[in-house]
Amino acid sequence: MNIRWYHLALWTAFIVGMFFLPQLVSKGTLRTIIFANYLAIFAISWDVLSGRTGYVSFGHPFLIGLGAYTTAILTKRFDVPVEISIPAAVLVTMVGGSLLFLPALRVRGSYFALVTLAFMELMYQLVQVIRPDLTGGTRGMSGIQTLTRGAVNGYYLSFGLIASLGFGMWLLMKTRLGTALSAIGMNEEAVRGSGLNTTKLKLAAFMLSAFVAGLGGAFYVHYLGSIAPRALFDINFVFTIIVAAILGGASTIIGPIFGAFFLTFLLEYLRPYLPGAERYFIYGGIALVLYMFEPKGLHHVLQMALSAIKGKSRS
Amino acid sequence: MLQIIIQGLLLSGLYALIAVGFTLIFSIGRVLNLAYGAYLMIGGYSYFYFSQILGLPKIAGVVIAALIGVVTGLLIYRLVVKTLKGDSVAIEIATLILAVVLQAGVVLLFGDASKILLPIIPGVVRVEGAAVTYNVLVATVASWVILISLYLFVRRTHMGRAMQAVSMDVKGAAISGIDPDRVNMVTWGISGALGAIAGVFFASYTQLYPGMWVSPLIIAVAVVIVGGIGSIIGTLIVAHVIGYMEVIVTSAIAPELRGVVTMLLIIGVLVLRPKGLFGREEL
Repeated sequence: MNIRWYHLALWTAFIVGMFFLPQLVSKGTLRTIIFANYLAIFAISWDVLSGRTGYVSFGHPFLIGLGAYTTAILTKRFDVPVEISIPAAVLVTMVGGSLLFLPALRVRGSYFALVTLAFMELMYQLVQVIRPDLTGGTRGMSGIQTLTRGAVNGYYLSFGLIASLGFGMWLLMKTRLGTALSAIGMNEEAVRGSGLNTTKLKLAAFMLSAFVAGLGGAFYVHYLGSIAPRALFDINFVFTIIVAAILGGASTIIGPIFGAFFLTFLLEYLRPYLPGAERYFIYGGIALVLYMFEPKGLHHVLQMALSAIKGKSRS
Repeated sequence: MLQIIIQGLLLSGLYALIAVGFTLIFSIGRVLNLAYGAYLMIGGYSYFYFSQILGLPKIAGVVIAALIGVVTGLLIYRLVVKTLKGDSVAIEIATLILAVVLQAGVVLLFGDASKILLPIIPGVVRVEGAAVTYNVLVATVASWVILISLYLFVRRTHMGRAMQAVSMDVKGAAISGIDPDRVNMVTWGISGALGAIAGVFFASYTQLYPGMWVSPLIIAVAVVIVGGIGSIIGTLIVAHVIGYMEVIVTSAIAPELRGVVTMLLIIGVLVLRPKGLFGREEL
C-alpha cells in the first residue's frame, strides 16, 4: 500500500473543492460538470479493464447500456422502485461483464478489441428488434424517473458517485490486486509464470469494470430521464470514453477524471465557434496527436513538469 | 430459392470487395486498420463530389476516388502506423480515433445529411421475379474482376511475391533483399484504392452519410475473424458465408436480424475457435 500523505491531501482538496463548487459557478457550468462527472465514471470503468490489463474494450457502451436499459425498463415498464432497480441493473451489467469475459479467455490484443465492438453492435441491433414494447425500439425511451431536480442536486449526486467510486477504485488499485492487473498489461505470461491465477485476476478486472459501468450507466439514465440506442451504442461515444481515459493518463485514477473534465470543457468551449460535429474534428485531432506522441497522457506530462520544477529548485 | 441464390451472390460479391483491402493489410502488416471503413467513406464522397457535383464522367469519378484512397492509405501508413512502430493495440486505438476525425472532416465538407448516389449504370433486370439493378450487378462483376486481378498480381508479379514473402516472415524477406517498408507502402496504397472503390459501390448500394464507415468495417472485421486468414481465396469464401447467411436470415426470419447473426458469428468464432474457421495461412 504505497499511500503517501500528499495523496490523501490531494483527495481531500479535490473533494472539498468539488463540494463548494456550486457556490462559485453558474448553473450552466454545473450541468457541464455533471456530464464530465459521468464521463469520468465511464472512463474509470474503461481504464480498470483496458488501461491496466491491456484488454482494450471498444464496446464499453455495451456494459453502460446494459445498466441503463435494465433500470430504465424496470422503473418505467414495471414500476419497480429505484432502490431495487439500480442494484438489479448493476447485477445485470456484471453478468454482461462475464459474457464479455468469455472471449478474453481465448484471445487478446487486437482481436479482443474487435469482439467487444461486435458486442456493442449486437446490443445496438438487438435493442431495436427484441421486444420494442419494452426497450422503446429505435426511438428509445423518455420520461424515465429522475432522481434529482435542478442542477445543484444533480451535481451533488454525480459528484458523490465520482468521489466514492474514484476513491474506492484508487484504494483498490493501490493493493496487490491493482499491481497484479497492471502486471498483466505488461506481460501476462510472466504473471502466470509467477504463480498467479491470471484468469481470476482478469475476471476481477472485468467485474470491477462492469460494476462501475453499470452503476454509472444506471445513474446516468436516471439523470437524463431518457435513453436512445443511436446515441448510446455509438462509436463516437466509445471514442469519447477512450480518449478521456487516454488523454488524462491510462492506468491511473486521476487521469481519466482529469481527461473527462478536459474533454467536456474543451467541447463546451468549442461550441460557440464550431457548432455540430465539426468539434470532433478539432478535438479528435488533438487527441490523436497527443496519443501518438505522449501515449501516457496529460497526467504524465504534468508529472514530468512537476519533477522538472522540483529538480531545478533543488539544484 | 433462386432469388436467395442471386441475392446472396450479389451481396457476397460486394462484401468480398469490402473485406479484401482490410485482409490485405492484416495479412502483410499484421495490423488491424480501423480507419479502413473511412476509406470507403472517402471513396464514396470523392465519387459523389467529382461525378455528381462537378459532373465528370462516372469512370473518371471512380478512378479519382481510387487515387484519393491510395493517398489516404499512404498517409495513414506514413504518419500513424510507422510512428507507432508496430504496437498493434496502439495502432488500433489511433486508427479508430483517426476514423472519427475523418468522419468529422466529411461532415465539415459535405454536411450531416445523407446523400443519394445516382446508380453507376441505371436500369433493372428481372430474374425469376427478383429485381436486380444493373448497379448491383456491376458492383458484383467489378468485385470479381478486382479480386481475380489482385490474386494474379499477388501470385504472378515480382511485387506480389515480395508481399507474400513479407507476410510470411519480415526478417527473412529483408535478408533476401526485399525492402519491407516499400512492400508495406504498396500494400497500404492498394488497400486504400480497394477500400475507396468498394466505397463507391457500397454507397450506391445503400446511401452516402458520414456514419457509413462503421458497418463495412464490421463486415471486414467479421470476414477476417471468421476466416482467420489473410488469404484472398479465404476472404472470398467467408464473404460468401456471411453474405448468404444474411440473405437467408433476411428472407427466412426477419430483415432486422441480419446484422445480429453476423455479430453472433464473430463472437462465437472468437470464443470457440479463436484462430478462425480456416486457421492461419499466408496470402
